[in-house]
Amino acid sequence: MTEPAIPAGAVTHTIADELLVLLPDRAIWIPGRRMVIVADLHWGKAAAFRAAFVPVPTGTTTSDLARLTRVLHDTSATSLVVLGDLLHARAGRHADTLATIAAWRESHSELDITLVRGNHDAHAGDPPASLGITCVDAPYAIGPLIGVHEPQEHPDGYVLAGHLHPCVSVRGRGRQHARLTAFVFGPRVGVLPAFSSFTGTGMYEQSAQDTLFVIADRDVIAL
Amino acid sequence: MSDALARLEQWFAARGWSPFAFQREVWSAYANGESGLIHAATGTGKTYAAWMGPVLDALAEHQAPRVLRRRADAAPLRVLWITPLRALASDTEQALREPIEAMGLPWTVESRTGDTSAARRARQRDRLPSALVTTPESLSLLLCRPDHADIFADLRCIVVDEWHELLSTKRGAQVELALARLRRICPQLRTWGVSATLGNLDTAADTLLGYRADGAPHPRRLVRGIVPKDTHVEALTPDTMDRFPWAGHLNTKLLPEVMQRLEASQSAIVFTNTRSQCEIWFQSIIAANPSWFEFTAIHHGSLSRQQREDVEDGLKTGRYRVVVATSSLDLGVDFSPVDLVMQVGSPKGVARLLQRAGRSGHSPGRVSRIVCVPTHAFELVEVAAARDAMRAGAIESREPLDRPLDLLAQHLVTLALGGGFTRDAVLEELRSTRAYRALTETELDWVIDFVTRGGNALQAYPEYARVQLVNGHYVVTDRRVAMRHVLNIGTIVSDAAIAVRYLKGGRLGTVEESFVSRLAPGDKFIFAGTPLEFVRLRDLTAWVRKAKGISGAIPRWQGARMPLSTELSQAVREKLEEARQGHYHGAEMQAVRPVLTLQAQRSIIPRPDELLIERCETRDGHHLFMYPFEGRLVHEGLAALFAYRMAQLTPISFSFSCNDYGFELLTADPPPLEEALEAGLLATEHLLHDITQSLNAAELARRQFREIARVAGLIFSGYPGQSKSVKQMQASSGLLYDVFVNYDPDNLLVQQARREVLERQLESSRLGRVLHRLSESAVRVVDVERPTPLAFPLLVDSTRSRVSSEKLADRVRRMTVSAEKSTRSGTSMTFRAHEGRATRVVK
Repeated sequence: MTEPAIPAGAVTHTIADELLVLLPDRAIWIPGRRMVIVADLHWGKAAAFRAAFVPVPTGTTTSDLARLTRVLHDTSATSLVVLGDLLHARAGRHADTLATIAAWRESHSELDITLVRGNHDAHAGDPPASLGITCVDAPYAIGPLIGVHEPQEHPDGYVLAGHLHPCVSVRGRGRQHARLTAFVFGPRVGVLPAFSSFTGTGMYEQSAQDTLFVIADRDVIAL
Repeated sequence: MSDALARLEQWFAARGWSPFAFQREVWSAYANGESGLIHAATGTGKTYAAWMGPVLDALAEHQAPRVLRRRADAAPLRVLWITPLRALASDTEQALREPIEAMGLPWTVESRTGDTSAARRARQRDRLPSALVTTPESLSLLLCRPDHADIFADLRCIVVDEWHELLSTKRGAQVELALARLRRICPQLRTWGVSATLGNLDTAADTLLGYRADGAPHPRRLVRGIVPKDTHVEALTPDTMDRFPWAGHLNTKLLPEVMQRLEASQSAIVFTNTRSQCEIWFQSIIAANPSWFEFTAIHHGSLSRQQREDVEDGLKTGRYRVVVATSSLDLGVDFSPVDLVMQVGSPKGVARLLQRAGRSGHSPGRVSRIVCVPTHAFELVEVAAARDAMRAGAIESREPLDRPLDLLAQHLVTLALGGGFTRDAVLEELRSTRAYRALTETELDWVIDFVTRGGNALQAYPEYARVQLVNGHYVVTDRRVAMRHVLNIGTIVSDAAIAVRYLKGGRLGTVEESFVSRLAPGDKFIFAGTPLEFVRLRDLTAWVRKAKGISGAIPRWQGARMPLSTELSQAVREKLEEARQGHYHGAEMQAVRPVLTLQAQRSIIPRPDELLIERCETRDGHHLFMYPFEGRLVHEGLAALFAYRMAQLTPISFSFSCNDYGFELLTADPPPLEEALEAGLLATEHLLHDITQSLNAAELARRQFREIARVAGLIFSGYPGQSKSVKQMQASSGLLYDVFVNYDPDNLLVQQARREVLERQLESSRLGRVLHRLSESAVRVVDVERPTPLAFPLLVDSTRSRVSSEKLADRVRRMTVSAEKSTRSGTSMTFRAHEGRATRVVK
């Protein structure tokens, strides 16, 4: 099997003998499994805002889908695992939004998609069956890894999670400062950044045992 | 003399007063149907000047005194009294009620604010009192009622109290809009404003009264009240400058001198500039003399209403001899004069200095006195400068706002709720205000689109609609919209407030979420002058118990830092020029002499026609300190502009800090200063383009968007006990700003954010003038070994903005994870808000 090249700006990180490629588009690619893992898509969030009388422009879900398309194209992945919060809210299940998603699904009909349900999914409900997305409760085994939404250690293996939308504050000479979205790998749990571009971030507090990778525009950088 | 006036004079006489000439002037003007503005120092009879006009009117109507048996027998709503602080409402209510009860006028006086009980609100829903004391926000809420035209039908007079406090704010514009509405309902309405003395009283009066259809202002009367004969300003000076700091505002080095003055006085107010400073000084005074605890009190805006009322009352009755306060005590109806007023830190403006000084001895012909307590060396210069500016009569102006569209969006929803509006009628009504007199039809149509469809980008979402067009009227039909709107009306933006309560019961006030989030159970902090132990955070409440000992963290509140006024900046430049020539007049300048001498030794004191740039390197990096002496706001713009212009020459990242004297640009590598000066660093060409680019680079507009998003209804601040589904509807203003910039860049609210930064925050016209002055100045670049006294305050300032032309990844590769935020040790994985990430996203 010839593996696609590692995309520009990405870095690799090995956990439990699995080679993970951390992509600047806020996703993990496991070349050995032809799999892409993402967390916190929050599809239809802007639509949910509009339905609640908050005027937010259209286009966020569409551009997130385009980004996902790029990731899948770059990696030639055949399966996609979503670690929770696929749909933002019940109010976001608007016909236009669902039509956009359905059209996207159509153009990726071969792709195998699994959703590990998260807290938002509990409120928003599973995606329509017509989208062909397998919905499972956590924990979900990915080889030696365990996929969940809310980070929590698991006795059976290393956990990959979402939910926290981690971000890190970095400083440098000249009192430079930046807040950046991050991948955080602890001894037993790793947390992915939120894939959605229309989400806030939670401040991460460093622990000495953690390995951090921040996303600076189109580059993933190990700290 | 009329009967009514005779009765009024009797009442005055019974209290041992006789009306002042300016009060009589207002009363007769009112009787003539005139409107106007009364200006004078606080607490000099302005309240009764404004109040007795309508009262005399009513006395003439009701010849015989009469005791009111039933509320329903009282006259309908005649007078609306608008006060900027709800804390003032109950005091005002009392002051207004006293004379009408004594004179047997069948009127009721009540207040209606956010603090009013549900029972009283319900009563007011059926029938409003004859005179209603309320805030701008509560007035807007009344306009949301579909029957508001009926309830205001008998209104004859509106008094806007402390108009200077509202004038240059969105709340002021909110009052303008409400007044325009009320004038439409009752065209004969008389409007009186009550204000402190301002540099632009004519504008203040015209703004209050609105404009005629032909664009001309209405005729009105300016009445000058009582001003003190003279004001004496003095500063406490340290014996030696050796250990007196060059920066910072939290030190209490002059405490012994302050104690000495307090000891000698019968009653005193110690004004501070911030709430933290207030807590610190209260604590220090008690620590220095614990027996003073009996009669010393603390007063600031984050304390519970109960505590504030207790302190105000205690000050009146003499129970408290010393009150340490913030601007929360600046305004007040019936405060008792004190014999000593102290001001900790720079007064920052002449008007503020005069107002605070006015708290001492304000009967006619007496002298007001204020003792300033500098907290760092340059405040000595500021006190001396303030005195000069005061003597020269350089009192600050406050400029009203121009067309804030976020507020207009809010107001249109209010009108749509309150019975609906039509486009043409509303345009005419809006143009009768100063704020919106230049409103274009395009702008109005955009805002109408925004509240009906969400703006052009949203045309694909017909079911999104806050406001709907029904038979030519814009109305609100959805109950949820109505509920959301009334809960979020207003323009005040504050950090999430966390209530502080004792476990045993009893509310102390509020602190900001950001402070509480750094506390761990068992941590001690000082609040409301009391040492407390933090027990837990639950339901937006910090539960505490009393702690032993007197040490602990002092909460910080984010308030806008008051910039030095233009007038005072000018006076400071003049003081420094005197010093440069070796003239040190007065005790303050004498005291600060060693510091200025050191400045001249290490560097220079720049001439008025020079721009001084100091350059040095420290562990932090390469510093450029520049001193235009033009006030913080202008410096923020200049710093962003200069950083942007230098960054065009080479990939480089700047962080910068600003104060009232100058700004610092800091870089990891040496910045291309000489090259930039040659390439036109100070040039006035392309200013608008460069400044627009630089404020994007420095994310200033993104910051400004917070207020706009809140006012325009993009952010729902929610209500207690809200459901999860409401939380899912929250996003930070920064995130929304990014979404708008990316997906709807022509959105007028985004443009408003830029305009507000440019005009209000950066004072762009002033920025242009300053740049013009600098471009004709001689530039003196001085390489210094160590930071100079002028540089030091900038060096230690931790509030910084950034501008960069480097690739983010290149910058990040040289950075490390900041440990600053980590306050709790954790196990393998700790996050600051483990359970409530969703709430964190809001911020």
